[in-house]
Amino acid sequence: MEYLLSTLTFTGIALIGVLGTYMVTGLTGLFSFGQAAFLAIGAYVSAVLFKNLGLPLPLAALAAVLVGLAAGLLVGLPTVRLRRDYISLVTFGFGEAIIAVLNNTTNITGGAMGLSGVPQHTSFPLVFISVVVCLAVVVSYKNSKYGRQCLALRNDELAAKSMGINVERLKLITFLIASVMTSFAGVLYVFYTTYVEPGAFGWVVSAEWMIIVFVGGVNSLTGAVVSTVLLTGLPEFLRFASEWRIAIYCVIVLLILNFRPSGMFGQHEISLSFLRRLVRKGAKAP
Amino acid sequence: MSLLEVRNISKAFGGVRAVDDVSLELGGHDIVGIIGPNGAGKTTVFNLLTGIYPLDAGRVILDGKELTGLPQHEIARAGIGRTFQNIRLFKGLNVLENVMTAADPYSAYNLLDICCFTPRKRRREREVRELSRGYLKTVGLEGYEKEKPESLPYGLQRKLELARALATNPRVLLLDEPAAGLNPSEVRAFIELVRTIHGRFDLSIIIIEHRLEVVMELSSTIFVLNFGKLLASGTPAEIVCHKAVTEAYLGEEEAAC
Repeated sequence: MEYLLSTLTFTGIALIGVLGTYMVTGLTGLFSFGQAAFLAIGAYVSAVLFKNLGLPLPLAALAAVLVGLAAGLLVGLPTVRLRRDYISLVTFGFGEAIIAVLNNTTNITGGAMGLSGVPQHTSFPLVFISVVVCLAVVVSYKNSKYGRQCLALRNDELAAKSMGINVERLKLITFLIASVMTSFAGVLYVFYTTYVEPGAFGWVVSAEWMIIVFVGGVNSLTGAVVSTVLLTGLPEFLRFASEWRIAIYCVIVLLILNFRPSGMFGQHEISLSFLRRLVRKGAKAP
Repeated sequence: MSLLEVRNISKAFGGVRAVDDVSLELGGHDIVGIIGPNGAGKTTVFNLLTGIYPLDAGRVILDGKELTGLPQHEIARAGIGRTFQNIRLFKGLNVLENVMTAADPYSAYNLLDICCFTPRKRRREREVRELSRGYLKTVGLEGYEKEKPESLPYGLQRKLELARALATNPRVLLLDEPAAGLNPSEVRAFIELVRTIHGRFDLSIIIIEHRLEVVMELSSTIFVLNFGKLLASGTPAEIVCHKAVTEAYLGEEEAAC
């Protein structure tokens, strides 16, 4: 039970990161290899403020999210003007730079040894509520003019501009919301694990989130949620295969993308109205 | 008083002077045409007007407002809407959403409404949806709302481009070869559609078109471009009889004049 709960908690935290990646990569088509750095920012800023400076937890969390927002502005402002491939490079560089900073400020962060002795304050219900709120915001965003315009600019930036869409501003807004959400996930993370080290936030994590979004279906939020649960839970189920675990995981991902290139869900969503239609159809059937 | 003034605009790509010192004028509630052989710089003129390329020289003024040097989206919001020669619809969105996207920049709600799930968002969304349905109806695309744009036949895709351009609420509508790829009966219907739109909305239209019948029937004034330069301008009757035009564009001398 304990084990299941801890797996679910980690899945929930990863899900918030994936939701951020979904907004940036799935909705807007920007490949950010630095998303996990925001997780690091959230975790380290809140932990250091709480543990070393004795700030109350809510204040430390708020500060961590604000620092994440500021970092998002710092990376976002210059990059939204760039071509898509350069955005990947800049965010990649940013992510790795954050790791390097964490590794080299040993007296504050503990360096490569990691930061330990953080008290555990995150519980599963808190993570669950956070996930629900984040999910609701992302659904609302997707089903708004912002979401529509993101999809439009992902598809054809030039035409989007000609329709009066401020493409750069929209990219920045989306990127910032993702930064804030991911930083908050970082706060949840550090106060759950009680220990963090810089190595846990490299570009590999960002890439994993992107893989999850693509396996789920780039256009589908439902897909992102389902594939997060499957792919972060999967390695746990595959424990019996010990060293073959990662290889099996990769094969499964490759198979899905090979046979369903647009992901498990493509662009379909399971929404309330969809379920209602399904029930009605079922009722009509003899 | 002219609505759109284009003064001596120029654009060179490397050594090629794609548009060379071209001036146009467009009155309020008017339709004009731009014709010229392939590569004469017609589409480049549109791309300069909408800010896709920066101007090398010259000015663009819409109803007294200077548009020169503004970013693309601001020019669009100032009132220059357009369609594209090679149809550029948003493939990830359905037909209705394509039109809504163009009306969205005017929809007054913000991020706070999204994060706090206010009723204002729902109300504004409904307004935009109704408005967009209206545009779809105008061009005759009602009933196709949920379709994917790429699954529509070519002629309907052209109409959808038109509806989307209308949704940007333009003062001046630029149509880039809107009748390309249409069969003769579709061309007739299209001419009527442009007339209807022009009658219903307070806007002026500039049409680039190779089908001379379209330009001749609709335009009050025709501008002829050749090698980036303005060769002639005048009423359709004048253009048909213009000596330089018939030589450069229509090839042989017309017996009619």
